[in-house]
Amino acid sequence: MQTNTLYNSSATQPDNCINIQSSIASDDCHTVGNTSVKNPRMNCRNVDVFYADKQAINQVTLDIGRNEVIAMIGPSGCGKSTFLRCLNRMNDTIDSCRISGEILLDGQNIYDKRQDVVPLRAQVGMVFQKPNPFPKSIYENVAYGPRIHGLTSTKSDLDIIVESSLNRAGLWDEVKDRLNQPGTGLSGGQQQRLCIARTIAVGPEVILMDEPCSALDPIATAKIEELIDELHEEYTIVIVTHSMQQAARVSQRTAYFHLGNLIEVGETNQIFSNPRHKLTEDYITGRFG
Amino acid sequence: MNEMTEGHTVKRFDEEMQFLHRLVLEIGGLAQDQLKRAVQTLNDKDPATAREVIKRDQELNDLDIQADEEFINLIIKRQPMAKDLREIITISKAVSDLERVGDEVRKIAQLTIHIYDTDRSLPTLQILRDINTMANFVSNMLSASLMAFDKLDISRAIKVIRQDVELEEEYKSALRRLSTFVMEDARSVGHMIDVALGLRALERIGGHAKNIAGYVVFLVTSKDVRHDSLDAIEATLKLHDPRS
Repeated sequence: MQTNTLYNSSATQPDNCINIQSSIASDDCHTVGNTSVKNPRMNCRNVDVFYADKQAINQVTLDIGRNEVIAMIGPSGCGKSTFLRCLNRMNDTIDSCRISGEILLDGQNIYDKRQDVVPLRAQVGMVFQKPNPFPKSIYENVAYGPRIHGLTSTKSDLDIIVESSLNRAGLWDEVKDRLNQPGTGLSGGQQQRLCIARTIAVGPEVILMDEPCSALDPIATAKIEELIDELHEEYTIVIVTHSMQQAARVSQRTAYFHLGNLIEVGETNQIFSNPRHKLTEDYITGRFG
Repeated sequence: MNEMTEGHTVKRFDEEMQFLHRLVLEIGGLAQDQLKRAVQTLNDKDPATAREVIKRDQELNDLDIQADEEFINLIIKRQPMAKDLREIITISKAVSDLERVGDEVRKIAQLTIHIYDTDRSLPTLQILRDINTMANFVSNMLSASLMAFDKLDISRAIKVIRQDVELEEEYKSALRRLSTFVMEDARSVGHMIDVALGLRALERIGGHAKNIAGYVVFLVTSKDVRHDSLDAIEATLKLHDPRS
């Protein structure tokens, strides 16, 4: 399959790159499992990512289905977060980062020169590891996105969006009486749900979550997981997690990354009960990491 | 970072799994010994030792409970996945089967007491012959199933599953022979019923050995073959064989 360089934010040329495949036996580089789905929201084809001369992602091909939760797992440095950030061009902010291959959202190439990243990041929202509310009121945290994207013209419309977003994030009942208080005054779990409400408020199609519960206690984690379960009826969710139990609980499909390669992808139940690749099995059974 | 290790990164996990593995073999060894002693009490006409066999079944029950506690602790601490999870399920089920082997062995020991510790007339030794033959057969099956578990040996496991088909035939033949004895001498019907129950117990022990062999297939291949025909199991194993 022909690979086109679609985005190059650095002057580094491909021939300077290290081939990370040398670290893994050749048969290990072929992804095990079905990388395609019937009704994809996103299609990733032969995606390579380089940070300067270091290759972080190697020829990853993967479809992301509509209304599915897909979990990305793998040891530290395997490229799962790098791959996640490719899905809404968050890597554009890194000067040395260069991406080749093809990533489509609803059939449209997100790395097309005409693609404006601002609406893209509204369509493909992101929730980070550490809750990062704006230093503004709870109301403003949610209202900011719809306002700058011009989604509403009246205050009452904005109120409706704020309330419905906070409702869908399972936070409305806890904050409805203190919408003017700072978002940073909420607990960690509430802040993370506020960030999810902020993401939802601009009407995304896909929500990317990069270890969204790693800074939260078990109860706050359970609330986020419950929220993910509810949200996937409306949105496609891609979650990077270090917790294999969390991946098993929240996702329908799981993708295992190792040294920049997509080693295996499959139904979550299959991956955690009967993985087909030895690297996947060794990782999920705690034989390396 | 990302270093491959021989076993689990957490070495204690390996030790806990090995402990459970050894526990199955210990329980299996005890069950085999109980079976051997129970059949011997019949040959020795020794109801006193038969009572000891029945009493000793409590050791198997205690080990069964200990194993359950170990599984629960290991699942809580390690949250096993994939092959580790299959191994724990296999061990848990195998221990349950071995505990039931112990229950069936009690029935053999009870047979000795019924025959040799009552005022009834003694049966002819002929009607006990099938007990000995079947006991040897199921003892070998049990031993082979434990060996298959210990070595994760699928070919040995499939042999046990195949032997269970033979055992069923042997059991039916033994029951037919017993009914012939009853027709010849209706006064011995009481002994015949006892012996039939003994044969049934041995047939069940063979069934438990077959179950353990099936768990080994599940552990190695992840295919649950418990309710499959022998042909279907062999087809599954052929698919799993990397040489095919």
